[in-house]
Amino acid sequence: MRAVLAIAKKEILSFFFTPMAYIVVASFLVMNGFIFSVIVAALSQPGSFSASPMAIFFGGTMFFWIYMILMAPVVTMRLGAEERKSGTLETLMTAPVSDVEVVAGKYLGALALYGAIWLPTLLYGWILSRFSPVDWGPVWTGYLGVVVVGMFFLAVGLFTSFASRNQVVAAIMAFGVLVLLITLSILSILATDPFWKGVLEYVDLWGAMQNFARGMVDSRQLVYCLSGTGLFLALAYQALQARRWA
Amino acid sequence: MIDVRDLVKRWGDKEAVSHVSFTVGRGEIVGFLGPNGAGKSTTLRMITGYLRPSAGEVFLDGRSVSQDSKAVRAMIGYLPENNPLYEDLRVREYLEFRAALKGIPRPARAKRIQDVLEACEVTEVADRIVGTCSKGYRQRVGLSDALLANPPLLILDEPTVGLDPGQVVHTRHLIKQLAADHTVILSTHILPEVEAICSRTLILHQGRLLFDGTVADLHRGLSGAGHVLCGVKAARELAQTCIASVPGVSQTVFLEEGGGVARFRLTAPGGTEVPEALFRACAQANLPLVELTTEKVSLEEAFLSITTRESAQEVLV
Repeated sequence: MRAVLAIAKKEILSFFFTPMAYIVVASFLVMNGFIFSVIVAALSQPGSFSASPMAIFFGGTMFFWIYMILMAPVVTMRLGAEERKSGTLETLMTAPVSDVEVVAGKYLGALALYGAIWLPTLLYGWILSRFSPVDWGPVWTGYLGVVVVGMFFLAVGLFTSFASRNQVVAAIMAFGVLVLLITLSILSILATDPFWKGVLEYVDLWGAMQNFARGMVDSRQLVYCLSGTGLFLALAYQALQARRWA
Repeated sequence: MIDVRDLVKRWGDKEAVSHVSFTVGRGEIVGFLGPNGAGKSTTLRMITGYLRPSAGEVFLDGRSVSQDSKAVRAMIGYLPENNPLYEDLRVREYLEFRAALKGIPRPARAKRIQDVLEACEVTEVADRIVGTCSKGYRQRVGLSDALLANPPLLILDEPTVGLDPGQVVHTRHLIKQLAADHTVILSTHILPEVEAICSRTLILHQGRLLFDGTVADLHRGLSGAGHVLCGVKAARELAQTCIASVPGVSQTVFLEEGGGVARFRLTAPGGTEVPEALFRACAQANLPLVELTTEKVSLEEAFLSITTRESAQEVLV
């Protein structure tokens, strides 16, 4: 466990030593702040439909997904690829640390960064609460959605980063997989065949996020995200193991 | 301490390391010598557990590297080739990270880090960012990391590559000091380095172990070769006949004749008695021996003669 924490801590430190960290965090906050204000402004128009701004913020717009698809690979792309390129993977893998601990430490670091990036958005809820009563239940389930979808996406990014020695390639591969995952949501909307529609509903992340934002926690969607996380973490572990045979 | 048994590493159908076996005892300081691409780094990587062997096995103090990898890795301080470091951390941060990875308990860390910083003389850059340190400092930071957990075995892959002469001398001195209470394996393609530091040499060439012995053995000339240069004040033919009667000379090469003196270069495979025998032979034949020099085989010559031989069996001692 000490090794896991040490690796996570090092990743968090290293992330904030790169200018990229500040670009990611700043652009995330600027754009999300802008979207949030647009949502609030739209809902304040006389005659607009009644909805919770946070529900729309989490599940109602494509912006959420654009960020998720871009941000997860950017947070994770360094984790494995950089170690391979600089050769430091050798020092890491010859330290008395198991490969599982390496994957866990890197992943924990990525999750912490992801959390840190989302943390300031809690302010939005607080701002709303100063002007009107906020139903906090759906806000928290919305954040639950942010966490489980984030876990899934970061696991994808971690895998592609261990699979490549080039950060850009790692990011693009992760981007490709994530776009595919979102495409499944669109397919589930387009599907007419009841069988396929039923199948695709299981893997409909967009729909899942909308449910979370409305305060509905569907265990099937939780299971999907968590098993996706498990699958890609296992693949990341395999990609790391493969280094020992190379 | 180290027991390497029939180690093989294949990539596709190319054997990078081919059936290498050797043992290293506690406290030995062993030089791994070979041209670039000989399989030195690959072998070291298999000993440290970074790479899995295609066949064969490595034991450290009786523990298998593949079965008991974590425990074995805790016994090794490893400085990989090219000394990879995290460029964006400060030296102290880097060592703190490594100390945590190596399981040095938190209360002991600061003291231990200070100790290795001092041992490797990097205290003055402790708060600099690794990426801004000079190559010499970076190398010593890598060495500090290898020493952190005070492991019984140090494996240093080309520890002096790219350093300036002053730094090379300093690093060698440091390694020699460490050898007092560590077992050390270092790889290099620089012969004088082996001569300066190591008590024993393993020569690897094209993945095969060609020589395992002391530096003195290497000097003694595996291809046989000590040379004797001599000048005899006589006609060439006369001198040559005389030399032919000297036992232990395998080859006589005529060099030049001038001022009534004929000069030869004799190859004397094992014997240190050749100069004396030559003197007596000349005295008996009443030929004045005016020049006599023995020429040690340079390490370079011995090395080349080993690595250019076809069969490993020929030269294994």
